[in-house]
Amino acid sequence: MSRTGRTDSENAGGLAGAESASSPGTMNATSPWILEVRDVAKGDFLAITGASGSGKSTLLHLLGGLDEPTEGTVLFRGECLGGTQRGAACITLDTYRARFAGFIFQSFHLLPSLNAMENVQVPMLGAGAHAHNREEKARALLVELGLEHRLGQYPTQLSAGERQRVAIARALINRPAVLLADEPTGAVDTAAGEDIGALLQELNAAGQTLIVVTHNPELAARYTRRVIAIADGHVASDTGALL
Amino acid sequence: MRLSFAGFAWRNVWRRRLRTALTLGGIGMGIGAFVALVGFSRSFEHAWLEMYENAGTDLAVVQKTFLNTEVDQSAGAILRQIPQIAQAAPMVINMMAVTPEVNTLVYGWKADTFEFSALNILQGRKFQDGQQEVMLGELLAGSLNKKVGDTLDLQGSTFRVVGIFRSGSALEAGAIIMPLDQMQALSEMQGKVTAYHVRLKPAPAGVSPGEWRKEAEDAVAKGLPGLRAVPAAQRAANNQLVILAHAAAWGTSLIALLVAALGIANTMAMSVFERTKEIGVLRAMGWSRERVMLLILMEAAALGVAGGAVGVALGWGALQALGALPQTASIASTTLPVRTLVDGLLMAILVGVLAGSVPAWRGAQLSPVEALRHE
Repeated sequence: MSRTGRTDSENAGGLAGAESASSPGTMNATSPWILEVRDVAKGDFLAITGASGSGKSTLLHLLGGLDEPTEGTVLFRGECLGGTQRGAACITLDTYRARFAGFIFQSFHLLPSLNAMENVQVPMLGAGAHAHNREEKARALLVELGLEHRLGQYPTQLSAGERQRVAIARALINRPAVLLADEPTGAVDTAAGEDIGALLQELNAAGQTLIVVTHNPELAARYTRRVIAIADGHVASDTGALL
Repeated sequence: MRLSFAGFAWRNVWRRRLRTALTLGGIGMGIGAFVALVGFSRSFEHAWLEMYENAGTDLAVVQKTFLNTEVDQSAGAILRQIPQIAQAAPMVINMMAVTPEVNTLVYGWKADTFEFSALNILQGRKFQDGQQEVMLGELLAGSLNKKVGDTLDLQGSTFRVVGIFRSGSALEAGAIIMPLDQMQALSEMQGKVTAYHVRLKPAPAGVSPGEWRKEAEDAVAKGLPGLRAVPAAQRAANNQLVILAHAAAWGTSLIALLVAALGIANTMAMSVFERTKEIGVLRAMGWSRERVMLLILMEAAALGVAGGAVGVALGWGALQALGALPQTASIASTTLPVRTLVDGLLMAILVGVLAGSVPAWRGAQLSPVEALRHE
């Protein structure tokens, strides 16, 4: 699948999906794999839905700086991500992921040799943050997410819902501008999925920008503010910013 | 529950306990070989230096060439005419079998040599020139269970033990000393010696000891072409036995270290492969390539440090065993120089980092998306 993208946001905390040439929200008829999404506003809660293989995960990877488009540019707060654009230096993907983006994965991806507290500290360890600061922030986040009694537990000792909460705490530890989640309720049961959905909604209510890729139409409809449906690599529909 | 970078690295290493333990065993064997063999060769060199220092030997006069180690005994008369030289003692050294299992150093000295000043005679007396008599170092006497009055067979000749002595040098404590003429006959070196050990007169006022020694060296070179006068410390480091011991020790150790390095490289390559997805997670969390590389290198270095500690312990144990075995007790010192311990640990870390560098580089090159897709 070819990946072409341009995130283009002039909004303070926003970023957007991809644009190749035409106006926002339209499809490029000549290239079936061009994704076009514009203007993810600060404080938005965007759901990207679509069938398997539709390109929604690819879009999330581009928006999260995990991957670079083969054509086009991803912009964040008006600055390009990765590489250069017209001779101007862009925000490096490492910097973007470390300072501006937080990731939540479907299967949590907690590190098995570390307990909950230690897992949450990993992003700050990568950024070289002070040890005391790391510990304090990790504890505060886990307590805030209702895991104060599970701080020293290892991933295998936690329920799926608890693991996802630890993963959310880990994604939040560097205070990202945007939180990106790939099927965050895909590996938990219905009750835990509702908890996770409600938690994400609370975070959004507190001002956190979220972009969620999901198969779960209920999660998309019930908790998010905006839904973009992807089909065959294109934006099939977009409810628009801030439902 | 504070997570440190080094702690994180060690957790990753310790996750696969059996594999890590086996790798540590491999590194430990390599470093143990280094510590035992290089430690042995260094203590061997140190024992030579002690022997010269204890006897007050300033110079050793030897052949210039490496393979021909025989010096004509007529050189003694010329040496004694050199104004800087106070005494010149001829000596022969060789290694001989005293039992089928035990080889020991045997020295041939004149009864009036100044080198006896370094020995403390515990039992009996000094030998007499021209007599089939020997003196035994207390270590050797103990291992052979010999006392004054007993006899000892060497190269088909029978010698009477007339004295037991103590020496500060391991090379003498486990050695035999006999009259020079008897030693020359045993070694078929009539009229020849291995070296002359020289004591210098005190340097006159206004001349430094170094300048005085250099004058003596020049005088020897001028008076005895084909021979050279070597300062005692240099002779201790550069005599044929020590050079061979160093070469054998380093050669064997490097092979063992290479095997250890391959073990670490294999372990780290496997570890990186197995943790590909985790590396993808770290990259997704904003870890830079350099940070990921540093983590993997630190894991390799941690293996090196832990393996080095195991190796130092094994090497120390091996050295103690060498010192206890009758076959090697007479030439092995059980003292492990601090320098060898430090070198062993540094070598282990260096081997770890070098062996881990390729897996670390490969791990750091992983694209986050590809790494996260890895199964």
